[in-house]
Order: sequence, then C-alpha cells, then structure tokens
Amino acid sequence: MAELLQYLITGLAVGMVYALIGLCFVLIWKSSGVANLALGQLVLLSSWFTYSMLVQAKLPLWLGFMAVILFALALGWIIERVVLRPLIAQPILSLITVTLGLGYFIEGVVSFIWPWSVAALPRLFPKEPIHIGPTVVSQEHLWVAGISLLIFGLLSLFFRYHKMGIAMRATADDQLAVQACGIPVTTIFSRSWMFACVLAAVGGVLVSSIGGITFGLVETGLKAFSVVILGGLNSFGGALIAGPIIGLAENLGGGYLTPYLWGGIKDIIPFIIIIIVVIIRPYGLFGEERIERI
Amino acid sequence: MGLPCGTRNFKYDTDMAILRTRTHWALFILLLAFVFTLPLYLPNRWIGVANLIGITLVAATGLNILIGYCGQLSIGHAGFIAVGAYTSAILTNALGGEWFMLALPASGIMAGLVGLIFGIPSVRVKGFYLAITTIAGQFIIIWVINHWGITGGFVGIKVPYATIGDLIFRTQASQFYLIMGIAALSTFFATNLARTRVGRAFVAVRDNDLAAEVMGVNLFSYKLLAFFIGCFFAGIAGSLLAHWIGFMNAEHFTLTESILYVGMIIIGGLGTTIGPIFGVIFIRLLDQGLLFLTPAIEGAIPALPSGFATGIAPMLFGLTIILFLILEPRGIAHRWVLFKAAYRLWPFSY
Amino acid sequence: MTSKKLMIAVTLCLALIISALPLVSACASKPAEAPTKGPLKIGISTPTTGPAAEKGSPMGHANLDAIEYVNNELGGVDGHPVEVMWLDNSYDAAKIVTIVNAFMDEGSLMYSTASSKMMASSMEIANRAGFPGLASFSSPILYRPPQHIYGQLPDYGDDWGAFASYYMKNVWKGSGKPKMALHLLNNPTGFGARDAAKASAEKMGIEIISINEHTATTISETESLNRIKAMNPDVLYISSTPAPTALIIKNAYELGMYPGMTIGLGHASFTKALIDIAGADIVEGVHGVFPTVNWGDDVPGMAKMTEYVRKLHPKDEGNMDYITSWAQSLIMVEILRNALKNAGYDVLAKGGPEAWEAIETQGIHKLNYDVGGLHGPAVYTPGDNRLSKSLRIFQIKGGAITPITDWIDAPLIKFEEFDWFGK
Repeated sequence: MAELLQYLITGLAVGMVYALIGLCFVLIWKSSGVANLALGQLVLLSSWFTYSMLVQAKLPLWLGFMAVILFALALGWIIERVVLRPLIAQPILSLITVTLGLGYFIEGVVSFIWPWSVAALPRLFPKEPIHIGPTVVSQEHLWVAGISLLIFGLLSLFFRYHKMGIAMRATADDQLAVQACGIPVTTIFSRSWMFACVLAAVGGVLVSSIGGITFGLVETGLKAFSVVILGGLNSFGGALIAGPIIGLAENLGGGYLTPYLWGGIKDIIPFIIIIIVVIIRPYGLFGEERIERI
Repeated sequence: MGLPCGTRNFKYDTDMAILRTRTHWALFILLLAFVFTLPLYLPNRWIGVANLIGITLVAATGLNILIGYCGQLSIGHAGFIAVGAYTSAILTNALGGEWFMLALPASGIMAGLVGLIFGIPSVRVKGFYLAITTIAGQFIIIWVINHWGITGGFVGIKVPYATIGDLIFRTQASQFYLIMGIAALSTFFATNLARTRVGRAFVAVRDNDLAAEVMGVNLFSYKLLAFFIGCFFAGIAGSLLAHWIGFMNAEHFTLTESILYVGMIIIGGLGTTIGPIFGVIFIRLLDQGLLFLTPAIEGAIPALPSGFATGIAPMLFGLTIILFLILEPRGIAHRWVLFKAAYRLWPFSY
Repeated sequence: MTSKKLMIAVTLCLALIISALPLVSACASKPAEAPTKGPLKIGISTPTTGPAAEKGSPMGHANLDAIEYVNNELGGVDGHPVEVMWLDNSYDAAKIVTIVNAFMDEGSLMYSTASSKMMASSMEIANRAGFPGLASFSSPILYRPPQHIYGQLPDYGDDWGAFASYYMKNVWKGSGKPKMALHLLNNPTGFGARDAAKASAEKMGIEIISINEHTATTISETESLNRIKAMNPDVLYISSTPAPTALIIKNAYELGMYPGMTIGLGHASFTKALIDIAGADIVEGVHGVFPTVNWGDDVPGMAKMTEYVRKLHPKDEGNMDYITSWAQSLIMVEILRNALKNAGYDVLAKGGPEAWEAIETQGIHKLNYDVGGLHGPAVYTPGDNRLSKSLRIFQIKGGAITPITDWIDAPLIKFEEFDWFGK
C-alpha cells in the first residue's frame, strides 16, 4: 500500500514537471499553430542564463530571476521578429522546420558562451523531503507542481477574459478573419512567443534545479511533446492533466511491470499510451475536434 | 509549359516522357557519367561523404513519398532505418555476408511491415498528431532493439561486408557503386511512382483526404501503402548504412536524426523528386564543410575564446537553415524550377 | 525582388564557400615555417558539440593543449613536430565514419576518440583498414576480441570489478553474501558494468539483487529506488553520467536509503559536477572509482598540465576529463616516439597500412610509459588491448574527492568467452 502511494505521489509530482513544459508548447500552438521544435533548446538556454546570473554574476535570487524573465521576454520578441515574422503565410511545414534550425542555432550559442557545458544552480529549495504518511516527495517537485498550477490558472484566465487572450485564440482559429477584424496578428504572435519563452525559462530553472544543467534538458523538452499530444495540442487543461497521467503511467508501470519485462519499460510506457490514445481519441483527451468540409 | 519553345507532343508517349529533348538526354547522360566516375577523382574521404549522401538520399526519398506526396507527417524515420539496419545486420551475421542480396530486400520489407504497424493510426489522425505516433514508434523500436538479445543489445552488433557473388564491397569506392546504384534506382522508382495511379492517389490524399475518399480512393489502403513504401526505402537505407559503418548500435538512430530528415526534404522541396536530392546534398555538405571549418578557424585565429570554435558549427548550421527557409520557403526545388524557366527564356524575362 | 535575389545569391555563395573550405584549408593550413624534420600526423576527434559536449569539450581542449606542450617545449618527437588533425564529431555516428576516412586520407598514423561510442561506430572502418585507434573511455566491445583498437583507461566493467573487490575486502563486514543493486545508464556506459557484474559477481561472492536502468534525462528515480529499497540492499552501484547520478543519490537520500548503505560509482559520473548538482552534504561518503589522479596531486606530470590549462583554458582547471585527454595525447606521443625509434621515420612518413602496422607492432606493443604519474602506467600486455589497467577508489569527504586506496589493477575479463556477451 505504501508502495502504491509512493508511486502515485511521485507520478503526480513528476507529471507536473512535464505539464509545465507542455504548457509552453501549447501556448505557441494555440496562438500561431506552429509546433515549436526548439522548445528543449529554449529551456537549455534560459537555464544557462540563470546560471550566469545566479552563479557567475552572483546576483541575489530575486534580482537574478527578474533578469531571467526580462531576458526571456526579449528572447521571445527577437525570435518572433527575426525568424518567424518573415515566414508568415508560408507553408506550415516550413515554419516548423525553421524552429528546427533555430534549435541548432541556440545550441551553438550555448556552447559558444558556456563551453564547459555542465553546471549546477545553487540549491533553491531545502533538501529535506516532505513526508506524506508513509511516502516522501521532494520539495523541488512540490514547488514545480505549485508553480504549474499557478501558471495554468493565470493562462486560463488570460485566454478566457483578457482581450489579448481572446484575440490569440481567434488568431489560431483563422488568421484572415482576425486580420479583417482589425486585430494586429503580428503583435499577437510576438506576445505569444514572449510568453512562451518566459514559461520555458521558468520550466528551465525548475527542471535544472532538480537534475543540473546539461544538454539532456533538450530531450526533457522533447518529452513534453508526448504530454501535449495526450492532452490535446490546444488545451491548457489537457496539458495539465496529461502531464500527471504520463507521470503516473511511468511510475506505476515502472514500479509494477519492470520485474516482469525488460528494463527501462518506464520510459516507453508514455509512448504506448500515446499510440493507444491516438487510435481511440485522435484529438487527445481535451483537444478540439475539427469538423472538416470539402 | 516547362519545355523549350517549339517542342510539340504528337504522341502520348512523348507527352509522358521525362526526358524530352536531345539536350535533356545529353545532360542526363553527362550527369550520370559524372556521378559514376566520381571515385576516379575524389579522395577516399570524399567518396565516404558521397556514400553517406547516397544512403541518406535513399531514406529521404522514402520519406518524401510519405510526407511530400501522401502528406503523412512522420518524425520517426530513423527508427525505421534502424529496423532495416538491424534486420540486415542479424541476417548477414547468421547467414554470412554473401547473403546480402537476400538481406537487402528483407530489411526493406521488415521496415515496411513495422512502418505499417505505426501507420495504422494514420487512418484516424493526421498532421502533428500522426507525427507523434511516429515519434512514439521510434522510441519503442529503439527500446526493443536495446533489450532484445539477438540485436546485440546496448553493446552493439558487428556487420560483415556486403557481398554479391564474388564481389566483396570492402573499399569506399566499391561501396560507392553499390550505394549510388541503389540511390539512382530508388530515385527512378520515386519519379515514376508519382506518375502512376498510386502516386496520383497519394497526392489526392495529401491535398484533401475527404475529397479523395469521395472520389473513390481507399484512404486506409493508400495511407498504409504510403507508409509501407516510405519505410521500405528507410529499411533499404538502413541496410546500406549497416554495411557501410560495419558496426551498429541503437545510439545511431536518435530523434534528432529523424527531425533532420524532415528538415532535409523540406529544405529540398516537398513533393518533388529532385527536392530530396538537393536537400540531402545541401545538409550533408554543409555538415562536412562546418566540420573542417572549426579547426581551420581555431588554427588561424588562436586568440578566440574557447567556445567560439565549438559553437560556430551548430550556429552556422542553424543559421543556414533559418536563412534558407526565410528566403526560399518552398525549398531548393522551387528555385530550380525558376532557374530552368529563366534559363529557357533568357534574355527575355518571360 | 532584386534584393531578395541578391540575398539568395549571397547565401548560395556562402554555402559554396563553406563547402569548398576544407579544400582550401587542406592546402593553406600547412605550417609555413619549414621544420627541420618532417611531421608526424595524428588524428583526434572529440564530441565537442552535441549531446556529449559536457565531456567532449574539455577533452578536446586537453588533447590539443598537450600536443602544443609537446611541440613547444619538448621539440616534438625527437625533433619531428606532431601535426594534429582535430575534428569535432558532435557525437554523430555517421560523421565519425567520414572523419576516420579523412584521417586515413591525410596520412594520420593513428587516431583517438574520447568516447567509446564514437570509437565503436568507427572501429570497423579502422579495423578493416588496420588503422590503429585509441579511445579514452572504452567498453569491452572495442577490443574483445582484440584487434586494432586500444583502450587508454580501464573500461566501465573494470570499474565495477575494482569497486567490488575493494568493497568485499574493506567495507563488507556482515556474514553471507552482500546484496548489491545496480543502477545503469541505458547505454554502454551502464551496461559495461552489468556485463562485468554478470561475469564475476558470483565468483566474488556478491549477490546481484536488482538491475535497473535510467535515461540520461531522468527527473525522478524514486520509483526504481523504492523497489530497490524493498529488497534491502547493502550496496548500490551506479554506472552513469554526473547529472542522473546526482539525481539518483538525491532520491535515495529522500527515501532514507542513504546514508545507511554503501554507494559506489563508476568513473563516468565521479566528477565535481556530481557534487555541485547533488550538493556536497548529500553525497558525503559516496565511493567512486577513478582511473586518473586528482588535480593538485603530487605527480611529475602535474606541473606542466596545470601551467598549460591556466594559460590556454583556465575554465577547464579542475575538470577530471581534462586530465584523461591530456594523458591520452602524451600516450600517443610516446607511441610515436617508440615507433620512430624502432621503425625509423621513413616507414612512418609513408603513411598507409605499412606505417600503421609499424605504429602498432613497434609503437603500441612496446609501450611501457608512466604517463607522468597522471594515471596508471600505460603498458601493453599481449592479448589485452587496455593500455592502463589501474584504478583507484575515492571517497567524497567534506565535499572533496579524496583517494582512499593506491592503484588497484583490474583483472582482464575475457568477455568473448561468455556466450551471453553481446546479447
């Protein structure tokens, strides 16, 4: 019983980390329909920037984080303005591929500025875990969960009530119609990239406080894809629920199946779930179903 | 339209021919002669690069059929290449390198069958959702390879030389003829596939699958057929890769590799036969160029910060892709069409 | 439109220039000052960019710094300057094949890689040609059975062997067999240790109770550790890289498993980064195996290495991989010196199979070099392509990696005699 409870708690906690990065992916998809393949690299870059601020420049925590947020905003603005703006109205696959090029470029920038390529952030959260009954969960994971929930709340409210948020949703739906209504589409894209970069930065700081800063962060970013597919590409709630589902599947599956199967089953379970979900519910658990006409 | 002034069609045959004029034929034969005599004047290492380009081209041609013609986005191509590579490796290890002629088609068919399994969701989903199932496919394939005994597991597996009859493909130059022969065959096949009933059905599915279904194209079978053909090519490429490197390890087949394949055919130009050729040559040569650029820079200007030389290669690689797509989002093939038109009409602009 | 066309032209030109650069650089970058004696060429490839850059980048620096030291201060090898062709392989298997072809074309006498994976991907090309290669980090597949590829340091399986024998002798005080759990990275780094454990755990009187694997990007291993915890292990052996290892130890700490059992680490993860990521207070007392000395140790080769790292790459000081690759370059220079002495420059200058054979039979097979004390002596014993076979056990004490034993020789395991090897 204690075992099961431990798997549940760990699964939820890990899932929230995936959910947080997944949110970042959904944000861009929801407002511009671009699949951001450079997500992992954005996470990596902002983690290194945080390292520069906190460890190299020795700024106090609050100032360091302010700098990181500002940096992320600027980064998002530049990426949209320089890389994606010229491609508006071009084939969508070209837009996706350009983010692939962006990813390589950012990787180059990272090894250019921080050539020693593995580092640790100062310990942000206390090392003692929280005990819940017979189980333990580390404080880092709890913080991640809290922050993801907070961001999810803010984003949902923003997209539900704020003018800009509504405009963003409308843009994703039909760019031409939105332009005809006089909404500045380019501004919307720009904002959504800025927000997404901030989310990536927050995710980067939290994930690298758990496992250090390495190139592995790029792959952690890719893992978020599985989350968003499960939840539905354009649903924040979906990402938030799919994250824990993936986390739970990993931990329960790993916990109970590993003795009977080949090792490493834990890392495959999310993908098996994806295939099953895609066959049963093609638009994810909460994605919006498109009705097509000829 | 894309023909020189005064070229007329009197027969259906001439209308369908790919090479229409004498100049076409002359250029085509010249090109073939040039390609197949490359080993005579290239140093060994560039023959090696040409081999890599040839192998990549076979795989990219398959992916182009799948994505470019049939519109089924697949980001798990490296996984299917892995299936082919391991099938060939296991077969030739068990039977001996002289069974290569059996192992080559077997690895294509095996990869095609595995592709079918992961292609089944394509019946229900498309676009990015489909892409994710192929990514999932890739991870599952690699996991199976890593844990299944006969594949050599994490340690890897040695692959004997490819052998046909008395001919053992030992040197880069001899492998060049094998690889380029197959690459030429697959390009030939892809060009003609696009002009058949099947190819037209693929394009119909890509452009509007609902309309295609109404017109009597069986979506299920044609989508699966596209997966089979695309992955068959991947398997062939995998087999060639295995015999070229001589040692297989699942770490060759990363997700980054899969994404790069998609990047290649988009840069080259989707849905054209010439596109993958351009894209593959462009990416692989860029890669090689940057490889030698880094030490050259470091040698020439030693005072640079230590990260400069290491960061410059991925930076330029990414930058070239970005610039390319910004300046020519339709791929090099589109630029090629424009160039041909400009060449014909010269000195007039239209 | 004109400007757009211009831009495209410029891009195309750039691409052309870039692809033509190797030809230009190959012709132009030959050293202008005519050396009195002909050069000796070697090829070095490191994964300076890409997923393994955390190790590859300092290793590339160290390789080149050491060669610069040899050329500047020792006058090369008996007056022959060592000419290095260094290429970054980005940890990409297809690229390393083209790189090794380039090395062979350029008349390199031998080549080296940092990682075992890159050596594995290129070894068949090299073995087929008889081109000798030297890998810093190695796994048994590279030289079981021995061919033309050599390992600089003991492999990940040897790490396990050395740790296990130390554990049985000095730590294990209970009765019966100690229960050991393995936590392995899902690649040859991890599974080299598994193979060694499979081959010799029973002989050493250790019971392997659980074999677990993790990915390099894991963010929680609570699940697997929870399963291990239920089996009451006496010792946990982790063979992985720093970041996941730090995470596993952190999770073990949270679950209350550590302190309370012994943790042993393979050398790939036993670096300062591990302490930084996990926190010094958590990893206190962790055992690890390492094949080289530490920074600041009193050995003859330390002074020059420290001088050069400060001068050329001050950021890399304190990085353990730097020592490995510095030593690797010194070993290659020593091999060249042996071959030069025993075979003469004329044979080596020819390049190609004849020179490679001379390097192997006259250079490597007669190698007996102390590497300035930087790691165990590099000695060739017939039938064993590992050059250095020595390891030391370290322990983290007060946040510093402190040696607790002298050099221990790892026994040779003939993996090819086990029918499960490579399965």
